[in-house]
Amino acid sequence: MKRNHLVLILVIAALALMIWSGVDNYRRRKAEQEKIKAMQAAVLVPAAPAATGDTAAASEEEEKSPLEGKQAPPFTLETLQGQKISLASYKGKAVLVNFMATWCAPCKVETPWLIDLRKQYAPQGFEILGISTDDLDKDDKKLNAQDKAEIAKFVDNMHIDYPVLIDGDSISHPYGGIDALPSSFFVDRSGKIVAATVGLHDRSELEADIKKALASGGA
Amino acid sequence: MRRLFLAAMAGLLCLSLQCARSQKLAWQSNTKADEHQLVQFLYPEQITVAADKPNVVELHFRVNDGLHINSHTPRAKSLIATRLMVEEPAGVNVASVDFPPGTDYSPAFSPQDKLSVYTGEFVLRAHVIAKPGDHLVQAALRYQACDANSCYPPKTAPVAVSVIAK
Repeated sequence: MKRNHLVLILVIAALALMIWSGVDNYRRRKAEQEKIKAMQAAVLVPAAPAATGDTAAASEEEEKSPLEGKQAPPFTLETLQGQKISLASYKGKAVLVNFMATWCAPCKVETPWLIDLRKQYAPQGFEILGISTDDLDKDDKKLNAQDKAEIAKFVDNMHIDYPVLIDGDSISHPYGGIDALPSSFFVDRSGKIVAATVGLHDRSELEADIKKALASGGA
Repeated sequence: MRRLFLAAMAGLLCLSLQCARSQKLAWQSNTKADEHQLVQFLYPEQITVAADKPNVVELHFRVNDGLHINSHTPRAKSLIATRLMVEEPAGVNVASVDFPPGTDYSPAFSPQDKLSVYTGEFVLRAHVIAKPGDHLVQAALRYQACDANSCYPPKTAPVAVSVIAK
């Protein structure tokens, strides 16, 4: 009698497990299909990353950043030397918050322009904060040091003389998610974003946006 | 007779447990896939190979229009190379993966530079030895894409191939 009960329990358990795995399998398959559909939809939508060269530039120019006209999201990040720098400490100055990375070729093109423009407009109260979005290993100190060394090498090779802050990914979200580089936010003297650009733009466009930031938000 | 029945039931239970476990493995993904892929894994989804013999499996990918990604051997050290990270299941050995040579590309903003890139469709050749049976080989393509004006953060495209070794 006891054995019969045991057999019955075993059969029920086996059947329940098989039904559960079948349902679970179906649920996972459904979730996977939904995910693929979402990915395909994202690819089909001509968003900036999927757009072709010239059209991408055009759409970027047409699309105004939702952050324009709003206060720049506050942040505090470290320099390569470990010094903490806050955007708030630049109130009263016009600031270009420039998201970049060592692997970003267009960033290398605009960097010399930024260095020149900073030199030109610093006397009027202009500063640039370079925000590196390069990955930093958070688990391994040795790898973290290597990552920082790569950024330092880039800063050195490009002769960057403005502050370069690391771990830019940590502030990507409040800045609308940095999908493409370079991404620049022109902040006026009151801390408001007056212009934002994605991708490489002419030096003259950068200069016009710097002038706009310098002219706005003064006391 | 009862013993035989009990043994059969225990076997059924083990089978169902194994079934549940293997299904979890088949559907779980250890690779964190990015939401907006700029490179798509095209095919094969399933392939039949000779068991216990060296086989070459061609993996086809496509870079979205208007974009390029660094090849496996970019010319500058600072550029992020395209790599394939393979998760070898039990019974499958992926000895090596051949990458195609990149094509030369000079960005409009820097015409003097020559980058080594992949555009459009490209094919990787994986050297695979598999034991008899069905295997799910999962991999991740790590790449970094740019267009004419911008570069996009490195991404990881999921790859899954069902390998049937006979």
